[in-house]
Amino acid sequence: MFKNFLKVAFRNLLRSKGFSFINIAGLAVGMASAILIFLWIQNEKSYDQFHANRDRIYEVWNRAKFDAKRWAWNTTPKVLARTLEKDLPEIERAVRVNWQSELLFSIGEKRLMKKGNMVDSGFLQVFSFPLLQSNPATALNDLHSIVVTEKLARSLFGTEEAMGKVIKIDNKDNFTVTGILKDLPNNTRFDFEYLIPWAYLRSIGNDDDNWGNNSTRTYVMLKPNATYASIEPKIKVLKQKYEEEARKDNWQMFIYPMSRWRLHSSFNNGYEDNGGRIVFVKLFGTIAAFILLIACINFMNLSTARSEKRAKEVGIRKVVGAQKASLISQFIGESVLLAFIAAIFAVGIVLLSLPSYNQLTDKKLFINFASIGTWLTGIGFIFFTGVLAGSYPAFFLSSFQPVKVLKGSFKKINALITPRKILVVVQFTFAIILIICTIIVKQQIDYARDRETGYNKDNLIYHHFTGDIGKNYNLIKNELIAGGIATSIVKTSAPITQSWSDGWGQEWEGKDPNDKTDFYRITADEGLGNTIGLQFVVGRDFDLQKFPADSTAMIINESALKVMKFKQPIGQLIKDNDIKWHVVGVFKDFILTNPYEPTRPMLINGAKNNWFQTMQIKLNGNNSTAQNLQKAATIFKKYNPEYPFDYKFIDAEYAQKFENEQRQGTLAALFAGLTIFISCLGLFGLASYMAENRIKEIGIRKVLGASVTGLTALLSKDFVRLVIISFVIASPLSYWGMYKWLQDYTYQVSIHWWVFAGAALLSVLIAIFTVSYQAIKAAMSNPVKSLRTE
Amino acid sequence: MIKITALEKIYRTEEVETISLNKISFEVKQGEFLAVMGPSGCGKSTLLNILGLLDDPDAGSFLFNGVEVAHLKERQRASIRKNNIGFVFQSFNLIDELTVFENVELPLIYLGIKTDERKKRVERVLDKVQIMHRRGHYPQQLSGGQQQRVAVARAVVNNPKLILADEPTGNLDSNNGNEVMEMLSDLNEQGTTIIMVTHSEHDARYSHRILRMLDGQTVTQNILAEKNYEHFSLTQ
Repeated sequence: MFKNFLKVAFRNLLRSKGFSFINIAGLAVGMASAILIFLWIQNEKSYDQFHANRDRIYEVWNRAKFDAKRWAWNTTPKVLARTLEKDLPEIERAVRVNWQSELLFSIGEKRLMKKGNMVDSGFLQVFSFPLLQSNPATALNDLHSIVVTEKLARSLFGTEEAMGKVIKIDNKDNFTVTGILKDLPNNTRFDFEYLIPWAYLRSIGNDDDNWGNNSTRTYVMLKPNATYASIEPKIKVLKQKYEEEARKDNWQMFIYPMSRWRLHSSFNNGYEDNGGRIVFVKLFGTIAAFILLIACINFMNLSTARSEKRAKEVGIRKVVGAQKASLISQFIGESVLLAFIAAIFAVGIVLLSLPSYNQLTDKKLFINFASIGTWLTGIGFIFFTGVLAGSYPAFFLSSFQPVKVLKGSFKKINALITPRKILVVVQFTFAIILIICTIIVKQQIDYARDRETGYNKDNLIYHHFTGDIGKNYNLIKNELIAGGIATSIVKTSAPITQSWSDGWGQEWEGKDPNDKTDFYRITADEGLGNTIGLQFVVGRDFDLQKFPADSTAMIINESALKVMKFKQPIGQLIKDNDIKWHVVGVFKDFILTNPYEPTRPMLINGAKNNWFQTMQIKLNGNNSTAQNLQKAATIFKKYNPEYPFDYKFIDAEYAQKFENEQRQGTLAALFAGLTIFISCLGLFGLASYMAENRIKEIGIRKVLGASVTGLTALLSKDFVRLVIISFVIASPLSYWGMYKWLQDYTYQVSIHWWVFAGAALLSVLIAIFTVSYQAIKAAMSNPVKSLRTE
Repeated sequence: MIKITALEKIYRTEEVETISLNKISFEVKQGEFLAVMGPSGCGKSTLLNILGLLDDPDAGSFLFNGVEVAHLKERQRASIRKNNIGFVFQSFNLIDELTVFENVELPLIYLGIKTDERKKRVERVLDKVQIMHRRGHYPQQLSGGQQQRVAVARAVVNNPKLILADEPTGNLDSNNGNEVMEMLSDLNEQGTTIIMVTHSEHDARYSHRILRMLDGQTVTQNILAEKNYEHFSLTQ
């Protein structure tokens, strides 16, 4: 019987090529989209789940109240790790991971800048990053040991054995390779190519016992029998035990389980707020389900629309003794077969699109064909899709009465609401929601991008103080200016697109003692205004030539002025970090961090505290950028020979701030496009059956004098009506969704009525375009022919 | 074999109520060849559908070899159908996607008969209706007469006790029509009971008895041949 079913199924596929194409193409695209999204979700959910001790690993967080609001964050004092090991018997290991650092690796003539971390020596015992050579327990024991990834080993030593080799790092100390790590998988929060023991950091004086200095991340691994509940009350008050300030602020600490890191770490008022990436996982999952459903709807609609073609077969099979159940399984079997064929194409589509999809999502996703789980999931997915698409048509077709279908008295339903119409409405509702979302996401990005940054990004680059740049800063600056390469240069504590320091507790005259405003802090020497194009409202920029006292001067932004409420800002004293700074100027706010947020109060202090990390260079606009950079490279090579000239464009860096939203926008557009494509395939199929079914009506109308335009309109009308109904349903849903999405942004675009009008027009046009080919074809057919066929 | 008593079938639409069978009663003996005649809309086809267990009567009794089958469930009807009844339609009703062989094989598949046995039986019956040479062809590659021979072959392949034929020659020219009638006649002579709805007096003459219907009732009966009919038991 199965063979017979299979035969009929295949012959049906071949006989109705158009129908088969639409179904297979729609299902293949739908399944491919679902697979791509599934791969993304799977990757997100698998983050750091490969660690053998994942259930025992936690990150230490703080929770404290400032400005009437409770905050939670994960930077901790360096002294915390060893205190935890000492004070809490439940903790097996506590390890610190400092901020990622980019260091210069030198081997002979070879120079490479590489990113990695300095970590406590127990790091590899807590986290299961597989070591290809050496022992996790001892690999980081020596002060000058270094563990590198396979990839880094290859780029440093080629095919030679790397173990035991010596690398000069940052042009200072020699490190011996004591371990080779397998390259990190793409689903971990860590991103390093090397690990250097914390002991080295300590040896160069970068460790401290200061409980007030929250500057590193601390991870703990509990003992196998320890419970979260037993530790929670102890760790809560740990900081308070050691620091009086923490007692005053009721500063608490807590441990945050590894399973929550990736998807759930979004906090509001100090506690998880159900936000975080899990929102995207859920959203994408919903979108995948809908796209698959939309592809299945095509199958349902086309199968039921052309049911007359299969009705006779159903009738005959019933007459010769088929039970309803056997017909149902036959039809579901057919849809599973179709899903199977579609799946083959879907996998092809996925493999072809993975490279660009990976670029879009910034991931390294792949299908693991070697895993049995993949094949089982695949089979399950095919069955699920087949049954989802096939069950409604199967029940519909198998319920035909043989008496009716065989005597030709079988009539199709033409009710006001039919399941088919509902399904088309479902498809287009989803498509229109996605169209509207795409437009609004794009508007929001444009809105923030067009926002006045407050400084001039043109021809502006920056360079970190690598190697000897700090030492030779003046020489480099002078040569760049004298050579006409740059018009203005300033050294600062951080690039002007990032916040590296902020803090509260400054003192000034008239300050409310309860004020705990957090200020962004930057250090600059002089010429900041000229270099980045700041606009001064009152006063002036730093100028050490004319005013040597400017090394203790401060310039503040308008937001800071508002907080400090100075009537006469110039000359006011602000105490910060035990230095009294005198205000010489107030500048207009500029965007330092998030272009979607309002600018925050900012203090820029003079050169006194001498904490410089980068130089900002305004290139000479009279030369080409390439010329400027080429000449600059020579000068940097001269004064900083060991390090590459690794400049960054401020405008490119600024553009990166939009990457996330850009990605969301592109994905929304992609999904919208796919949904529209699949829906239109279905609409096209439906329209062709409709034209076929109404061929006699069209013939009679033509004989009676109907025009082609009139007929086309008549035939398209029904579909357009469905699209309009979809729009009516989609509008409030997408308004609500986008309203919620925009709430995350302080600087948000308002939702305009014309976005909806545009989406409605677009979807109606797409529907008309899809349907009209069939409608016009039917309307232009010769009535003599169509009437004779009856 | 068949005993029908006061059978009623009424079709209702929103406004109109049409009485298709109006308390009709008659009997058919095993081995009989009955022709049912009458103008369009007199209820012939409705009667045939009820006899073939494709449709339910609204009232009355239908004894199929002594078993009441008037109000059985679909599953039970399907079971009796596939074991006892073969159908021949005016419009042949072959499945376009299946070859001649596969069409004839279909009832045997639903009876759960094994492949080898199916092959034997299908070939035997195709031989009998002289269509063996076209066993691999699809219905649309055959003439009307050939298609109806395939349909007859399909109707008899599971050795039914009863064949219901609904205007079996309606779509055929007279030569092909006669061939099909001869075939039915032969089957009847071999013991199969046949009930045939027809408009053709010529075809009706092949039967033993003609039942004439008008407005859902039997009007007259012409007996053309007397026979001794044997008893058979109903397989379910």
